[in-house]
Amino acid sequence: MSRKIQQYLAVLILSLSFLVKAIGQDIPAQPNPPLMVSDFVMKLKPEERNALEQKLRGYRDSTSTEISIVIVKNTGESDPYDYAMKIAKTWGIGAKNKNNGVLLLWATETRKIRIVTGRGIEDVLPDAICKRIINTIIVPNFKQQQWYQGLNEATDEMIQRASGEFKSDATSDDDSPLGFFIIVILVIVFIVISIIISKRGGGGGRGGYRGGGWTPPIIITGGSSWGNRSGGGGGDSGFDFGGFGGGDFGGGGAGGDY
Amino acid sequence: MSKGTIIALVVAAVLVFWGIGVRNGMATSEQDVEASWAKVQTAYQRRADLIPNLVKTVQGVANFEKSTLTDVISARASATQIKLDASDLSPENMKKFQDAQSQLSGALSRLMAVAENYPTLKATENFSELQAQLEGTENRIKEERDRFNDTVKEFNNKVVTFPNSLIAGFSGFSKKGYFEADASAQKAPSVDFSK
Repeated sequence: MSRKIQQYLAVLILSLSFLVKAIGQDIPAQPNPPLMVSDFVMKLKPEERNALEQKLRGYRDSTSTEISIVIVKNTGESDPYDYAMKIAKTWGIGAKNKNNGVLLLWATETRKIRIVTGRGIEDVLPDAICKRIINTIIVPNFKQQQWYQGLNEATDEMIQRASGEFKSDATSDDDSPLGFFIIVILVIVFIVISIIISKRGGGGGRGGYRGGGWTPPIIITGGSSWGNRSGGGGGDSGFDFGGFGGGDFGGGGAGGDY
Repeated sequence: MSKGTIIALVVAAVLVFWGIGVRNGMATSEQDVEASWAKVQTAYQRRADLIPNLVKTVQGVANFEKSTLTDVISARASATQIKLDASDLSPENMKKFQDAQSQLSGALSRLMAVAENYPTLKATENFSELQAQLEGTENRIKEERDRFNDTVKEFNNKVVTFPNSLIAGFSGFSKKGYFEADASAQKAPSVDFSK
């Protein structure tokens, strides 16, 4: 019996030491799977978080520009700028060779907002514009506790300003006509083969094979922290978008409080 | 040819190839330093370019303390005078450059501190954005300086450590200077309210 207690204690101490280590770290660990909107304080309603997540993912997919929102309680000992830079660089927001990441950090307890912009996006989102977004969009909304509106309109403004600046790799790489022809040929071959097979098989014979179907892999994420998120991955936000691209930051952006 | 001369020739060839390799490594590393130096200069230039705008905005405010403004203008003039080419980044030259720039940093932070006393100025969108821009350039300077120091560290390690240092001596590579932590940036700007 006492041995069991000892074991429990050992496990407890071990897990506590992990906890201490986690607290000791300056910045929060990136959620797994990664999210465009990391709300560590649960300040937004799940549907609001989801809406922002969807919008920012959609924008990322079409332009490769990664605008990420991180909501924390406070920035600890460090200055909001240093804190935001550390998150932005460690998580690697933005595409690697374009450095087109933006991080909007919000510290709820200390009422601080900090935008940091990647090296590649400084031209379309210069510091003065970031400051203007904070002063004229975020602060007035936040003063009325319109958290979602503030973040939504701020990201809309960023999206609008950055539009046309970057293209996603998927579209720019498809320029080669050869790739297109290969795909066309493959599709034709596939159709021809499937016609031949269906003629030979006479319907019934092969039907059993097809009926078996392909079972999608079920991914179980055991993290308890996911409980709050719309029933554990309902909606698209539960899926991994592939993570941030590894963009670099050079000190651009602006800060403010409300 | 005797056995001895063959061995001597082989050893000499190995040494020559080793030397070329080391030298090339230093040259590559030096190029990294020069590239990051260019970025440092761009960051400082960005700040210098911002100042006329800032001065103009602040001048528009009624009875703004003139002395802080003239300090900034003269510090900018002397800071932009010191041009340091990437090829002579010796510790002494680096110190000169840094001293001039930190003079300007000090003058600017005093100006911003004084500006805090003018609520009408602070309230304008223009000034608020200028303030953000200035903050942004200071952050960029810090970022580029850190990167520059990293590349210099790598270069110096190659040049100073023992067998390499012989090659460095032959091929004219010498230790480069770092950015030191700024003395004026660490102490809070002193503001004299008696004036």
